[in-house]
Amino acid sequence: MKTSSRFAPGALERPRDSLAVLLAVWRWGMVLVFAGLAAGFWWLQVVEYDKYRQHAEDNHQRTLVLSAPRGAVLDRDGRVLAENRDSLNITLSREQAEDLEGTVALLADLSGVPLSELRAIVERHRRDPPFRPVVLIRDAAFDQVAAVAAHKRELPGIYVQQLPVRFYPAGDVAAHILGYVGEVSEAEMATPEFEGVRRGAIVGKSGIERSYNRLLMGRDGARRVVVDNVGREIRVLDERLPREGRQIQLTLDYDLQEAAEDAFADAGFNGSAVFLDPRSGEILALVSRPAYDPNVFARGIDGETWGRLNRDRLRPLNHRALQGRYSPGSTFKVAMAVAALEEGVVTPDFRVACPGGRRVHGRFFRCHSTHGSVDMREALEKSCNSYFYALGEKMEIDQIHKWATALGLGELSGVDLPHEVRGLMPSTAWKRERRGERWYPGETISVAIGQGAVSVTPISLAVMMATVANGGTRVTPHLLAAVNEGQGFERVRRPVPRSRVAISPTTLEVVTEGLWFVVNRAGTGRRGRIYGRDVMGKTGTAQVVSLQGRAAAAGSSDQDFRDHGWFVFAVPAGAPEIAGAVFGEHNEHGYLSAPIARHVLETYFAKKDGLPRPTVPVPPFGRRAWAAAPAEAADQ
Amino acid sequence: MLEQRLYRHIDWLLLGSLFLLAAIGVAMIYSTTYDPTTGGASPLVSIQLWALALGFLALVITLSIDYRWFADLSPVFFMGLVGLVAYALLFGTTGGGARRWIDLGAFNLQPSEFARMVVALGLATLFTRYWQGRTPFGWLMAVTVVAIPFVLIAQQPDLGTAVTLLPVALVIFVFAGLPLRYVGLLIVVGTLSAPAVWAYGLEDYQRERILSFLDPEKDPRGAGYQQLQAKITAGSGGATGKGFLRGTQSQYNFLPVAHNDFVFSVLAEEQGFLGVVVALGLYLFVILRGMDAARLAKDRLGMYLVVGIMAGFTFQVIYNIAMSAGLAPVKGLTLPLMSYGGSSVIATLAAFGFVLNVRMRRFTN
Repeated sequence: MKTSSRFAPGALERPRDSLAVLLAVWRWGMVLVFAGLAAGFWWLQVVEYDKYRQHAEDNHQRTLVLSAPRGAVLDRDGRVLAENRDSLNITLSREQAEDLEGTVALLADLSGVPLSELRAIVERHRRDPPFRPVVLIRDAAFDQVAAVAAHKRELPGIYVQQLPVRFYPAGDVAAHILGYVGEVSEAEMATPEFEGVRRGAIVGKSGIERSYNRLLMGRDGARRVVVDNVGREIRVLDERLPREGRQIQLTLDYDLQEAAEDAFADAGFNGSAVFLDPRSGEILALVSRPAYDPNVFARGIDGETWGRLNRDRLRPLNHRALQGRYSPGSTFKVAMAVAALEEGVVTPDFRVACPGGRRVHGRFFRCHSTHGSVDMREALEKSCNSYFYALGEKMEIDQIHKWATALGLGELSGVDLPHEVRGLMPSTAWKRERRGERWYPGETISVAIGQGAVSVTPISLAVMMATVANGGTRVTPHLLAAVNEGQGFERVRRPVPRSRVAISPTTLEVVTEGLWFVVNRAGTGRRGRIYGRDVMGKTGTAQVVSLQGRAAAAGSSDQDFRDHGWFVFAVPAGAPEIAGAVFGEHNEHGYLSAPIARHVLETYFAKKDGLPRPTVPVPPFGRRAWAAAPAEAADQ
Repeated sequence: MLEQRLYRHIDWLLLGSLFLLAAIGVAMIYSTTYDPTTGGASPLVSIQLWALALGFLALVITLSIDYRWFADLSPVFFMGLVGLVAYALLFGTTGGGARRWIDLGAFNLQPSEFARMVVALGLATLFTRYWQGRTPFGWLMAVTVVAIPFVLIAQQPDLGTAVTLLPVALVIFVFAGLPLRYVGLLIVVGTLSAPAVWAYGLEDYQRERILSFLDPEKDPRGAGYQQLQAKITAGSGGATGKGFLRGTQSQYNFLPVAHNDFVFSVLAEEQGFLGVVVALGLYLFVILRGMDAARLAKDRLGMYLVVGIMAGFTFQVIYNIAMSAGLAPVKGLTLPLMSYGGSSVIATLAAFGFVLNVRMRRFTN
């Protein structure tokens, strides 16, 4: 036992039983530690399982959006107004670019895009996950795509990606009606209108694209894929195909729309025009000029273009037909005539002598000419202010308000387009609420000839003409005609009229006659005349500033103080099937707006009769036109 | 050499548990390194199998010869270890930022993996053969036996492996008579010096690992990534697991070095809580059984040797499993028996050869 002799207990050697205690403590300690580890895994794998399962899923599953193409928009004849086209984006996958700097430099060389611009884009996306492609050139031109394809081997990580974008084949024609599309904003996502729309989705921002966004958008599809830790797709888990947006058909007639826009272009001024069917409220043409090309939005508008469109003094983004508020001028006399006759204030044969104006409430109000003794029809024909001053003298403002409102003035038309604004038809209640003052009878005299506080939008004036034309039904102007849910177009229910009053046949007859005279006798609307079509209408001039104001501001600014000219119409007199309003911005005279209406109406009838469409009229600014002008020029 | 009488005293249950754990490890390595595109096993699996074969051979050797013979030769083993570790430090190949491997052509040898076993043998011999009187000089010699390999390994730098020497030494010291109050004092001094160690003793990456352990979500793409992914891997396994070859975290590489340091997370993901309980049970059984060998040891040499080996093994198992569940800071420590790694497998099996050896010879003279 050599070993055991060496094994003699030393001073500090632990006794055997002490070692046994240590071992026992250690063993039980181990049991506790392992129980603790098991508890830890229990917590992780059983209690918190859902949380970590979700984490793991987020790690290896990605959902890719398959964008649904927007539905097409057609005109009433089935002509395409908005559709989709394939655009090609040149993208960079940084994960696969071996030499990022060199690749970008070569791409800049090939595409002609400045290197600094491409570098800036890459820099902006530096913090994105590396597998996410960065769009370097949006909507690339064909030669750029060809150059990239030819140098594919030298450009690792550069891809050409196909993407549907909105396309408006007619460019700026009907731009304000169609509106434009863009990426949904944070603020919009918070509104009920865009509820459920995913971040980054393309939505309608204005026009039809906006108001029927839900129909047009369709439903995006999704593809769930399994990816590894660097984002490479390993396999597809499942896929939901996108559902294309619905096609919609508008009441709009592209031929009339184009005729109207051509006529404006030819006339050389901006403005707005509304043509609608007074029987149904269907909008046939709706113009606002200047316009813009909605295609620039579809591509993803750049800041510079957006700024230019917004800063433009002529405000091309403004939809004048719905958002422009102007004084109605003499076109308001139509509402005055209806109000006076329906209220029984005067009979149609009531006559007023016009010596070039009228003294009312101790003040002399001027007429633009000396008309002698005129009745209602002649007063309308000649746009005699003295006659309407006399009506204003006999009437309460609230009586006028009642009838103007029934005809749609100072009200929203209810058109199916966003951002419509309301004009203003004053009343005693309005004056009290807004100004805290009572209404002065003298103010009624100004209102009687469409001045003072009254303001209208072009579409509300068109509604007035439609309501007069159909005998008192304030139809709702609308653009949506039919929707294709997949089984062909089905007509949608026509919106209900906003209000209905019965205008007596006598009143209608008198007003119709007076307005027929305006165009077909010695009146101010002779340029709207179409042989055999019985055009009835009324011109008007909207003063931009008073004569005094104009003198004061002369030379002090570059603002345009020239008056606006109105022409409102309904055709054919007696049983109108098309009515509306033309607004000429700073064209100075109502009679200069009439030829625009005439050209569109001629196009309408030519199309109806199956005849060739008329060409754009010769500009009416010849010597003879000016020679014949005095009577017209004197119009309000 | 191996008499019939001894053969009957081999702890077959312990041996069986070791091979069961190794087999689970091979299956997990197969799963994480499996290439779904070719459907083939990775060469790492056959390397691991070869290492297990070599490890078994080593175990047979450390089992067959009386441990007292190894104790006699322990100075030779110690010098050999120091030589190899120093050689790796000076001329070795680099892996994971540390110069820890010696290139042997067919495979790389990591000598530091053998340090725990050699140090345990050395200390056990020292306390039983030479300085039983526990003189100050004896303690100094004991500390030196630990300190030389510790410093060399830490210099590679592989602090993780070096630190595993400490539990080995500490446990043998205590069993050999170090009063527990000194252990208490050591803990107090350690706690007090922690701020100084934090400021001067640690590398930036080590500080970052500890910080990210305390708040892994702070920088989920950076230092906290591994820990967070380890938690997700284990947690998403649930009660019954995602199934063999179907762990998304390990299959799609979200969990780094899954076949190595995080092999237990893979087990947790694919086999779920059930698999975890089975593996934990096996490890606990191995540890308790190993300590049983210490209890039954015929002499103090055997006991000290076994407790030293079991201390190193226990520390590494607990730390690695806690790390796989995100319960400890990430550290490059393998899970003995299951993790991929030839040197680790061979060293572990050889060490258990000693444990079996001591138990087997409890009745011999």
